[in-house]
Amino acid sequence: MSTTPARLSPNRVPFDAGRAAYIGLNLVLLAFLLLPIAIVLVFAFNPMPYISFPPVGISLRWFDKFFSSSDFMNALWLSLWVAGCVLVLAVLIGGACALALARGNLPGRSFLTAFFMSPLMLPAILTGLALFQSYLLVGIGRPVWGLIMAHTLVAVPYVLRTTLAVLHNFDRRIEEAAAVLGASPTRVFFEVTLPLIRPGVFAGGVFAFIVSFDQFPVSLFLVVPKGETLPVVLFNYMKFDLDGAIAAASMVSILLAIAVVLVLERLIGLKAYVKL
Amino acid sequence: MISRRSILRAGTGLAAATTLGAPTILHAQASTLKITTWGGKWGDIMKATVLPAFEKEFKCTVSADQAFPYVPKLQASSKNDPLYDVLQTNSNEQWNCFTEGLVMDKVSVKDVPNVADVYPYAVSDKIVGVTIFTSAIGLGYRTDKGITPPKSWKDLADPKLAGARGSYLIPVNSLGQCHLMMLGKVYGKGLQDLDAAYKALELLKPIKLVDFTGQMEKMLLSAEVNEGVIHDSGVYRYEGDNRQPVDFCSPTEGVVALEQVLSVTPGSKVKQLAYAYMDYMLRPDVQKLLAEAVWYSPANKKVKLAEKYDTKLLTTPEKVATLIQPDWKWYNARKEDIDGRVTKILKS
Repeated sequence: MSTTPARLSPNRVPFDAGRAAYIGLNLVLLAFLLLPIAIVLVFAFNPMPYISFPPVGISLRWFDKFFSSSDFMNALWLSLWVAGCVLVLAVLIGGACALALARGNLPGRSFLTAFFMSPLMLPAILTGLALFQSYLLVGIGRPVWGLIMAHTLVAVPYVLRTTLAVLHNFDRRIEEAAAVLGASPTRVFFEVTLPLIRPGVFAGGVFAFIVSFDQFPVSLFLVVPKGETLPVVLFNYMKFDLDGAIAAASMVSILLAIAVVLVLERLIGLKAYVKL
Repeated sequence: MISRRSILRAGTGLAAATTLGAPTILHAQASTLKITTWGGKWGDIMKATVLPAFEKEFKCTVSADQAFPYVPKLQASSKNDPLYDVLQTNSNEQWNCFTEGLVMDKVSVKDVPNVADVYPYAVSDKIVGVTIFTSAIGLGYRTDKGITPPKSWKDLADPKLAGARGSYLIPVNSLGQCHLMMLGKVYGKGLQDLDAAYKALELLKPIKLVDFTGQMEKMLLSAEVNEGVIHDSGVYRYEGDNRQPVDFCSPTEGVVALEQVLSVTPGSKVKQLAYAYMDYMLRPDVQKLLAEAVWYSPANKKVKLAEKYDTKLLTTPEKVATLIQPDWKWYNARKEDIDGRVTKILKS
């Protein structure tokens, strides 16, 4: 569609169909992503014991039920504890693997990369079942550290991938310059390499935390009585009591995820995180 | 004359006799009993009252798993050292487990004395293990939507209920499977008349299908459906301060039994304790406590419930006679074909 410049006022921006479509598409995508959260929000504050729209009022009864339930609270703390451990382990293991794969000139590097990424390719429920059988076979039962190891297994690929992405664009001459100036290899690593790959490692850490905190299929077989993670407790709760406590728990999960991102933003800066 | 020495001697003798006479309790002393149990209100009462009392009485620890799925976990563990000693689940899954050799078939009065007091359905040939409670599967409906209260299973096919009737995803829900068999009975020659059931299923379209009974309860409460297949306890529990405009109908053709069944695993290292737990769960006081908390019909005939429960639950031989028990062995053997067929019918 064409318009004659003479008809346009000097301050008026001509209609751009492409830009409008772009904005429209973004709005649709945003709505697609945020609408479920909005529904959860409505359900969490609605006093009715079922989903009803429009809501009949605002109530904190489901939050009260969630926070006063020892089952939910124990599960929440266990999930946070496991996710915290997984974050540390996945960052250490994934970061080290990424460095070895990017720098180590290892034989069969492609195979090793695929090997470490393989937990993402296998359905998580099968990973959980296989680990469950392995644990029972070796007679260790289902200890919490077994659950942490299982979550770490599926979280490492996230750290590996994000760290490898940073290392791919890494200028090694900076490290060489530090070494030439007399820095030891350890000092080069902690004062040059690590600060530069930090955005990738931390981004992977965020993923690892969230993947562990929300992990359901792997946990399903590995949790023990009185030692169940929040997603497993929520799943079982839903089978018997499908009320707003589920929505309240979901809101708490969402807020926790946001809190983790904000804390990391304070630690490393969101710009560095986004740049990745 | 009774001396201090004779009292001590008599006391020692009594203690020894008691100990010898109760090998089960001795065996239980350092044991852990691994069981499965339901969540929700049932689970709350089990954890708060029932299990601690059992642990105290039998000097043991109970590890109660409330995290589904029980059967795949049992299947994945060693038969010689199973993950559970006592499996609590519904009858259809018990039959699957029995077929695979994961649980034992019957329990005897010798092992579980309270079995002598249960209604016949609790230990019938349709049951693996022993039924401790049952619910009645029938029709739940809204009382405020101007619909005629149902009397028959056929009433669910009323055209006025199109899009406002509910049932379950048959491949994953035993109530859906029971409903399908009842369609065979009501529209055909019996529970095993699958052709009649498939035809009847067509009459129910459009129908809303859910995975869990909890979802059906909420759909009824929110009036997303006006009538649906549900177990009686899923409706009766909305009473008193929690009253909702819903009611339950036991159709004239009969209600299907949704049994809560206990069975023992053959590889259990604490079988006597497992039997003691079964017996304990069948005690009248334990049965009464749980029945009145979650509106389940107790399997023990000697249980006397409070009037409001007694009038609604299956607590007399006459009411128990309305229970229909499906042949799950028969159903499980053809489940794959049935799943494929019903999925095709309900998708089209």
